[in-house]
Amino acid sequence: MTTPANTPVIQFQNVSKSFGDHLVLDDVSFSFPKGQTTAIIGHSGAGKSVILKHIAGLMKPDAGQVVVLGCDIAQADPKEIRATRKRMGMLFQNGALFDSMTVGENVAFPLVHHHRKMPASELQGRVEEALKEVELPGFQNRPVVKLSGGQRKRVGLARALITRPELVLFDEPNSGLDPVTSQAIDELTIHLKGLLGISFVVISHDIVGSLKVADRLGMLYQGKLIEYHEVSRFIQSENPVVKAFLQRNVKLPTGGLPELSDIIVADKAGVDR
Amino acid sequence: MNPLQLLGGLGRFSLFCWTFFKAAIGRRPPAGKVMGEAYSIGVRSLPILMVIAIFVGTNLTLQGYYAFQPIGGQNLVGMFVGLAGVRELAPIIAASMVAAKAGTHMASQVAVMRSREQIDALEVMGVNAHWYLITPRFLGIMLVMPALTTLAIFGMLASSYGVAVHQLGLNGTEFLEFVRAATESRDLIICNIKALFFGAVICLVCCYNGFNSEPGPKGVGNATNRAVVTAAVSCVLLNYLISEIAYA
Repeated sequence: MTTPANTPVIQFQNVSKSFGDHLVLDDVSFSFPKGQTTAIIGHSGAGKSVILKHIAGLMKPDAGQVVVLGCDIAQADPKEIRATRKRMGMLFQNGALFDSMTVGENVAFPLVHHHRKMPASELQGRVEEALKEVELPGFQNRPVVKLSGGQRKRVGLARALITRPELVLFDEPNSGLDPVTSQAIDELTIHLKGLLGISFVVISHDIVGSLKVADRLGMLYQGKLIEYHEVSRFIQSENPVVKAFLQRNVKLPTGGLPELSDIIVADKAGVDR
Repeated sequence: MNPLQLLGGLGRFSLFCWTFFKAAIGRRPPAGKVMGEAYSIGVRSLPILMVIAIFVGTNLTLQGYYAFQPIGGQNLVGMFVGLAGVRELAPIIAASMVAAKAGTHMASQVAVMRSREQIDALEVMGVNAHWYLITPRFLGIMLVMPALTTLAIFGMLASSYGVAVHQLGLNGTEFLEFVRAATESRDLIICNIKALFFGAVICLVCCYNGFNSEPGPKGVGNATNRAVVTAAVSCVLLNYLISEIAYA
């Protein structure tokens, strides 16, 4: 089952989430169009990863609705969520690779579990193809523990792509990488999107990388989505927090970042969906 | 910990067990992992278990001998070791050692996987993490616990025999007769039932703590510590309950 062309791949409707007294997502609404790369940026602790965990079905909202590939995550039973997850892939911040396995075994893992009867030769071919796509040909037999940070991300990406998902989630794809490797990962993301035509969601605090890879950008601040537009419109934002984030080398106003109440908050109707 | 927190913890643990059994029952375990886990748990725990069992056997013999000697009952040492060792000490020693060696390994391994987002990765790949991570460990520990407990009994009785006969000068045949008089095959069955329960508790408690670990080295350390303490205390309580039911 695939989502129709005009249906958003992800929809958040008035989503709120708290951990104890701490409100992490405050009435957040947006939708991500199909076939595009959407990036959500924000400071550390802004709630970006919480959004991603909702999309992956690892968390359920306290209030509101999260619909991913047509599945209402809050209402769905574990079986439905698992079926939806089979249609998506995710690149974790540190790769989340299994250290006891080789690169090839890691990449093959989702296929082995979902297509038990796939012949070994076909499996091998798919692994080789996925590793080629992430520019790591011939790495099948390498132990994961011997990989560099950038290589781990690439292997994680190959694992996310091997099932040919409709949606791929990236959690901080550039974190912990040097600028050159970081740029290589960004270029790989752009290349793969062109090659595979699938929807990507990127969660990052790296504005440079996000501007490069994304078609649409959103910014989270104090639990609210304060800006969400196409990149060309996003960079012209008058929102002081967005401006400060965009000009990250420019000093912030005295007293640090302004309070949420002082800035323009994109209300539900105003958000460009 | 107040009673409410304890109840909450028990509730979460029960839910965890329910989730695991629901995921595992009627489904084949992950291919090729059960025997690996059984081997790993057995090999990891056996050397230390045998050392402890042997010295518990020697000390039981000495204590029994010196306690019974003033009343002329030193020959009852075999009965004392048979009753205390086979019925109570062997299963609890085996459980403690498995909790200390294999249980800590399980808890820390799962906690590190939680910390490195590998459990989330499993779920996102559509693989049930409870099934994938706990089933092989559960089946592995269930396979080896009775064997380890039986070996602990053997080690304890053998060392006890050695001390009784070669150090204290008791009659070997008489010693074995008293062991046989004190223990029946029913005791061995109960002992192995205990072992199975202890194995299940150790595995589930350790995996539960690993699954619910806080991130970072401190979180992994705390989870491992909590796991082994809870598993050991649970086994001791369970031992009392089973003995009460079986021997009352």
